[in-house]
Amino acid sequence: MFTANKKKSILYRLLMMVLSVSSVILLLAAYRAVALANPLLLPSFDQIGERFVKLFTTPIKGVPLTAHVIASLRRVLIAMGFAWVLGILFGFSIGWSRTLNAIFGTIFELFRPIPPIAWIPIVIMWFGVGEFPKELIVFIGSVIPVVVNTRSGVMYVEKQYTDVARAFGASRFQMLKEVVLPSAIPSIFAGLRTSVSTGWTVVLAAEMLAADRGVGALVMRGWMGNDMALVLISISVIAIIGAILSFTLIKLEKVVCPWMH
Amino acid sequence: MDALKKCLEVEHISKTFYNNKGYFTAIDDVSFDVHEGEFLVLLGPGHCGKTVLLNILAGLEEKSGGRVLYKGQEINGVNEEMSMVFQLLSLMPFKTVMENVELPLKFRGMDKKQRREVAQHYIDLVGLTGFENAYPHQLSGGMKQRVGIARAYSVHPEILIMDEPFGQLDAQTRYLMQQEILRIWQEEKRTVIFVTNNIEEACYLGDRIILLSSCPATVKEIFDMSALAKPRDIVSREFLEIRSKISDQTDLSM
Ligand SMILES: Nc1ncnc2c1ncn2[C@@H]1O[C@H](COP(=O)(O)OP(=O)(O)OP(=O)(O)O)[C@@H](O)[C@H]1O
Ligand SMILES: [Mg+2]
Repeated sequence: MFTANKKKSILYRLLMMVLSVSSVILLLAAYRAVALANPLLLPSFDQIGERFVKLFTTPIKGVPLTAHVIASLRRVLIAMGFAWVLGILFGFSIGWSRTLNAIFGTIFELFRPIPPIAWIPIVIMWFGVGEFPKELIVFIGSVIPVVVNTRSGVMYVEKQYTDVARAFGASRFQMLKEVVLPSAIPSIFAGLRTSVSTGWTVVLAAEMLAADRGVGALVMRGWMGNDMALVLISISVIAIIGAILSFTLIKLEKVVCPWMH
Repeated sequence: MDALKKCLEVEHISKTFYNNKGYFTAIDDVSFDVHEGEFLVLLGPGHCGKTVLLNILAGLEEKSGGRVLYKGQEINGVNEEMSMVFQLLSLMPFKTVMENVELPLKFRGMDKKQRREVAQHYIDLVGLTGFENAYPHQLSGGMKQRVGIARAYSVHPEILIMDEPFGQLDAQTRYLMQQEILRIWQEEKRTVIFVTNNIEEACYLGDRIILLSSCPATVKEIFDMSALAKPRDIVSREFLEIRSKISDQTDLSM
């Protein structure tokens, strides 16, 4: 219908914008229709708005919505900070050294397929329900994609680049710093992107099981109290924060890798 | 010019690959000399083992038999006196033109200010002034090729190996780059080993042409082209004569 050069025309772009805006409007209209037809199934927009305001006037568990968001974010960011640093270091080591891969790579492969949420009972039994066990679970979930992607980025660096470095007499360290590390960066970033979404998913699961604060705890509270509006608000907050996190990472990638288009 | 001083002696090189399907001989008893300061062309059909041979000379690939002498001394492995323009170009996509050209100097431990100067000299020489901060994906095929050439020259090699550097270029750019490489070669005198599968390119550039057979590569014949002055007129009678003499000798697949 549209040829390649038409794609770039203003008219085409405008049409695409209208399409995506109207699809969102349609979704909201459909929601409204269902909410009107069966108020038990979905709360109305007015009810959601009221509930949202109430989140600040009568706080849940003594703190407003923002404090719950901050509690979740804090857990994710702390755990992910460790996961990124340690995951990149570990992935690099086993990708670079055959010996280290032989020693630790196999153990890692054994643990890798375990879903992070499956660790929750063990971690709670060991460490209780404080902050540390939640961060630990998020760490376990988000470190795995970082390790996997870093390792393959390092292992599968293109031979043509290492050949150049060898031909021009690079030492092992120079090879690592000038060729292997930069060529692994796109793959490392792929790992970081996955780790952000995994981390965010896992923290919510952990909070739903055992926490007073956090967006996951809000979802749970809404569910237990049959407060559908609260559940919907929490889910929207989860979606928005998830989107902000991945958007930030994409921006960061552009700064770190100026050569990628 | 003492044109007949031997710079590199290639003696009975052979290369056999082994894999699960059996073995495969890519190079079979290839011997030739490279004279100091000459522009030597290795002309051979596709897949005949040219890249493997060059990789052996550069020390990137193990040989199955034979030896390589540099100024009378046997060499093994990577050699500081040689530098290479790669067939795949192999510019680091994550480095700018400047960073690519100065990379070999960095490997050799030259300090930053000095290597900037040297790299700039060769960037200017290949005509890329103003593109120092561009990334390879922002350059045209011919420009990328120039970066590869500048990078190879930056280390002041005694011998410059070029593996089908213009193979990927369109005819027009290719012709332009052939003239450029002659200009650069005349400005920065180095011994050049230039590989191609294009007869016209070989005749245009070579002081001598070593004709290789199809796989496994063996030396078929050596042509002395020094009688033809450079730059050569590709439609002159002498040029066309020697060109057809060579093409009569070449294997069909070229
Ligand atoms: N590592 C390897 N293992 C097995 N066979 C190989 C290997 N490297 C090259 N070969 C084989 O050796 C032969 C020669 O390869 P080479 O790359 O040297 O050809 P070439 O003359 O450079 O060809 P082209 O003109 O296409 O560049 C090919 O048939 C190739 O399949
Ligand atoms: Mg080749």
